Amino acid sequence: MKYLILLALAFPKFVHADLIAEENFEYIYELPRSETPEWPEELIDIKYVDYKRNTHASFCTRPTEMIDTIVLHHSETSSTTTALQINNYHLARGTANDPWYMIAYTYVINSPYAGGSIPKPLLTEGRPIEIVGAHAGSNAFIPMDEVQKKLWEEKKVLCGKENQVPTFDPSGVKNGKIKANFTTVGVVVNGNYAPYSKHNPGGYSKRSPRYPTDDTQDMIARLSCQLQKKYPRIKNIKWHNFYNATTCPGSIKSYIGKIKTIAKGYGCEFN
Amino acid sequence: MRVQLILLIGLLLNSTVWANNEKEMQTLFEKYDAIVKYHEVEFVEEVFSQKFLKENGGKEEFVTKVLDSPKEKKPKKLKRILQSWKKGKVGKIIFAKVKDDEKSDPSQFVIVEENGKLKIDGTISDGH
Repeated sequence: MKYLILLALAFPKFVHADLIAEENFEYIYELPRSETPEWPEELIDIKYVDYKRNTHASFCTRPTEMIDTIVLHHSETSSTTTALQINNYHLARGTANDPWYMIAYTYVINSPYAGGSIPKPLLTEGRPIEIVGAHAGSNAFIPMDEVQKKLWEEKKVLCGKENQVPTFDPSGVKNGKIKANFTTVGVVVNGNYAPYSKHNPGGYSKRSPRYPTDDTQDMIARLSCQLQKKYPRIKNIKWHNFYNATTCPGSIKSYIGKIKTIAKGYGCEFN
Repeated sequence: MRVQLILLIGLLLNSTVWANNEKEMQTLFEKYDAIVKYHEVEFVEEVFSQKFLKENGGKEEFVTKVLDSPKEKKPKKLKRILQSWKKGKVGKIIFAKVKDDEKSDPSQFVIVEENGKLKIDGTISDGH
């Protein structure tokens, strides 16, 4: 035993790697939610897939009335990355001390770059909307409106692990502000829409910038409008670096005004 | 006693594998640094996966993109940019956190094995 202790002292990183290897992922096909949502109006087809989840990770559930904002992201990966691959990445990115439950986003958009023909346009559901996302940044806190305040005071946001009784976690609100993840829905467009830099080798070059095509903008607008028709409190479309210092979602941010105009054509209004 | 000995041998073998991977990862990111900062583009195929290069318009287009970016002066002593790395349990992916300066958050790199060599397959957006 003393050899083991000596080894642990000599190779702390090795011990850390060993702890990570103890992570255990299990397939559980029944998601902790009531049913596949019924949409008042279907503006876009949504594909539903079964995701592998880390049952050792905790997550929070919320009433959908908490949600008032859609947050746009880019994945920074290839545009052909699938929702299942993003799920695998997110599971693998977690650590023993901070395991990730499942894909961090609620919707995943696949759409080709300008002039491209792959991937086939596709919208896939990520983590169910009733489960708080993990996309805006865990340190981003924002003001609450009266509805959100009431729901929070009634302890309607509950956290825990699968097969555990969920509990109320007061750390979701600090100085009267709530975690942005609790009141938002993360929508990711797969692809790298930020410029090339030493931190982002897959970014676009100055000679050929990447931007969301008309079709991609239309997909975002349709999804946003479909969500608003089902969850009428969703009135805002924001972007990742509204909450955190990051290059995400790259050039997509500049098209949000246009996306709102397209959504208006489908009968929706966004602030 | 025998169990302890087996455990010890197992741990030593594992730590050797870890040390080799650590060395390979460190070399990979030294070469990455050399490409993106000092334009030593001869390392491009050693550092990036074929899939990554194809998705970025091919080797030539990627090299042009690198050469179009500002070139930095190579210091006498190179700074370690690889902060930490871990093997994911799913899909044989390795994740590496790379940080170049104090101001920026670490970038998350995806590493894959290609023909027995570790190669950069891209980056992934932050969040959580």
